Amino acid sequence: MKEELDSQLSAMFDDELASAECELLARRLSRDTELKARWERYAVIAAAIRAERGVRLNARVARRVSVIVGSEPVFAGLAAPRRAPRRWLRPASGAAVAAGVAAVSILWLRGQVPPATAVVAPPLAAVPAVRVTTPALAPAAALKASGPDSYVVPPPVRAAGAVVPATELANYVVAHSMFSPPMARRNLLSSFMTSEPGEAGLIPVSTDGAQDPPRDAKSHAQ
Amino acid sequence: MGADASDLSLVRRVQRGDKGAFDALVLKYQHKLVKLVMRYVRNPAEAEDIAQEAFIKAYRALPQFRGDSAFYTWLYRIAINTAKNAVVSRDRSPIEYNIDRNSEESYEMQGRMKDSETPEALVLTDEIRSIVNAAIEALPEDLRTAIVLRELEGLSYEEIAAAMDCPVGTVRSRIFRAREAIDRRLREVFEGGLGRAEELG
Repeated sequence: MKEELDSQLSAMFDDELASAECELLARRLSRDTELKARWERYAVIAAAIRAERGVRLNARVARRVSVIVGSEPVFAGLAAPRRAPRRWLRPASGAAVAAGVAAVSILWLRGQVPPATAVVAPPLAAVPAVRVTTPALAPAAALKASGPDSYVVPPPVRAAGAVVPATELANYVVAHSMFSPPMARRNLLSSFMTSEPGEAGLIPVSTDGAQDPPRDAKSHAQ
Repeated sequence: MGADASDLSLVRRVQRGDKGAFDALVLKYQHKLVKLVMRYVRNPAEAEDIAQEAFIKAYRALPQFRGDSAFYTWLYRIAINTAKNAVVSRDRSPIEYNIDRNSEESYEMQGRMKDSETPEALVLTDEIRSIVNAAIEALPEDLRTAIVLRELEGLSYEEIAAAMDCPVGTVRSRIFRAREAIDRRLREVFEGGLGRAEELG
């Protein structure tokens, strides 16, 4: 029995013991002084065989470290070993990030209106004292005023300057839709293609940038 | 049998608050670490101090160790940084010893390193070394080959099994029996003389 234990210790010293056995033996090793002394001699034998001539085989490092560590605070249980992230989560999170970025960017792009042609939403336009200095904020403010937060592009305003050219928007969506399903991407692009030039930028786009525009968007624009 | 499973099991115990497991890690690696640090400082006593500091740093940082790399690799980096910092803070230029056991130059350099050791430590270290060498010489051929391939060449049990054309279990048994034979001779000196020398030191 003891010989088997010592044999396991020898294998553990060489990192050749199974993990489950290591767990059990590590527990014993940390408490059993005799086993620990044997472990230490195994290390000395290894150092002697390797002829580490500059190294004192009776190094006092271990004893001094043990004394210092003894006065250190005990780790009160550590976080469990890190789990490997679930595989399906990677593409899903990538798609979510890509969709989020695309949606935010589209909102931002729509707000990039030259100051001279900036059109303020009717409720804000009614207050002359309010001057929109950041064009990007105008549509967002209009959105907030009209209802709860949404990732849908606000209803179109009939003004030429407020519209992002269809080609630019299409290019942008294509560039950021690497994670979108091909069919959905095609649907979105075909909606750009079929819409009239003045209406292309008015198509509401959902978060994943892949849904068909609602029918009433077109009628609303007209 | 995972690589580094032994160290990792000890590390996990330390992380759960078992300080005794850290002793085992220090005992296992103290010689290797001192040898490593001696590439940067000449004095063995100073190298031991730096190794000690590296172990303490490692202990304090152990809660952050996730096992992404082998424990010794992680410890190695800490020791190297500690040694470099020590050298810089003492305004010395680091001495890179490319230690090659087989080269005469290396032996000469190591010989110079020994000069600064205390007489007691020298005597005891030499005594231990000669006992181990004598014990190895007295081993049967198969045991001697197995232990030398393991300790000197750093081969895994599987590689030794391939080299010696025998099962892995046999290799494990041979290495264990070799260690036991050496340990029997070493124990007396180690338990008596080593303790006395440490008191002197």
